[in-house]
Amino acid sequence: MNAPAPFESFILFDEEKKIIIEPETKVPNAAMITINKEDHTLGNMIRCQLLKDPHVLFSGYKQTHPLEHKIVIRVQTTPEYTPAEAMKTALKDLLVEVRSMEHRFKEALEDYKDTKKQE
Amino acid sequence: MPYANQPSIHIRELSQENVKFHIEDTDLSVANSVRRIMIAETPTMAIDWVQFEANSTVLSDEFIAHRIGMIPLTSDDVVDGMKYTRECECEDFCRQCSVEFELHVQCKDSETYHVTSANLRSSDARVVPVTSKGQDDDAPEYDRQEDILIIKLRKGQELKLRAYAKKGFGKEHAKWNPTAGVAFEYDPDNSLRHTLYPKPEEWPKSEYSELVEEDQHEAPYSYENKPNKFYFNVEASGALKPENIVLMGIAGLKKKLSDLLTQLTTEMHGEMLPAN
Ligand SMILES: [Zn+2]
Repeated sequence: MNAPAPFESFILFDEEKKIIIEPETKVPNAAMITINKEDHTLGNMIRCQLLKDPHVLFSGYKQTHPLEHKIVIRVQTTPEYTPAEAMKTALKDLLVEVRSMEHRFKEALEDYKDTKKQE
Repeated sequence: MPYANQPSIHIRELSQENVKFHIEDTDLSVANSVRRIMIAETPTMAIDWVQFEANSTVLSDEFIAHRIGMIPLTSDDVVDGMKYTRECECEDFCRQCSVEFELHVQCKDSETYHVTSANLRSSDARVVPVTSKGQDDDAPEYDRQEDILIIKLRKGQELKLRAYAKKGFGKEHAKWNPTAGVAFEYDPDNSLRHTLYPKPEEWPKSEYSELVEEDQHEAPYSYENKPNKFYFNVEASGALKPENIVLMGIAGLKKKLSDLLTQLTTEMHGEMLPAN
């Protein structure tokens, strides 16, 4: 009866922004990046990719609450770099990886079909 | 792309029901995202709106509506071109965002009548219950399967309804989930000790085990390694072909990332503008 509407977890409402960057006041080069209507699927992947960047000193993420459909990523970088820039690099790298994965799966499909034909 | 992985993929088995493959040289987080997105965010078609004109059966309208919604509908050829009803310009339903179904059965014999997925008449030959796909063909693309039982009728009972199948994904309701199960495994010989077997000899070996000795039950502990090879077995519900589930899942992940990247870029440029 009082269950939340199922679409709440993926529809971005008019007053909501997809991404909010809030710089930390007490730590230099650190920010809390909130991504609305996303979950562990993107959160864990981005967190892990950020850690590969030697300019990133800290990266962690959380889903604030099971009924709040957003994730918060905390990033701290070295002075020559901002958290937002680190985030941009991470997303670009992930995109490259996923693109090559798509390509490789299509190749693997062709290979599989070829070997089946030969049998 | 300074820190991007270069994954490689090998397919071990492909059938109408499942695809077995492994991904190498990627992170656990990425492999897990692929698994999660296939289950929750890969779109299919499923009945989501039902109007009853007659129902003198033993089940209530909502009970039958729920059962009809759970029937997997072949979606491979149409989902990509379909719109979500909530994003469509039409008033209620149109051909761009839905597929209409009709069902009308009456039991006139003293014998029990089985109303099944075969009684659902689709307005689009590409979107039909999986069990009805290609049954009229000489060389059917799908194996013949038993029709899905909706309800049983006794003499005099009638069921008449109109329904619309809509595009959706598993996050909204499990009926749109194209997978019947996704097996996900890494480190088959437990060399990373991510799990602890008190008696390793009591556990069956993984089908991907690389141990050759019969009496060896666990690989030696390698504390410097991290997961690198991920074994998948994607079982399809029938709504999508198994290889399409993987491809559409990866495509979904790609879209998510590129959308986020554009939003991040506009957000960053917005910050640089002088505040008014
Ligand atoms: Zn429409």
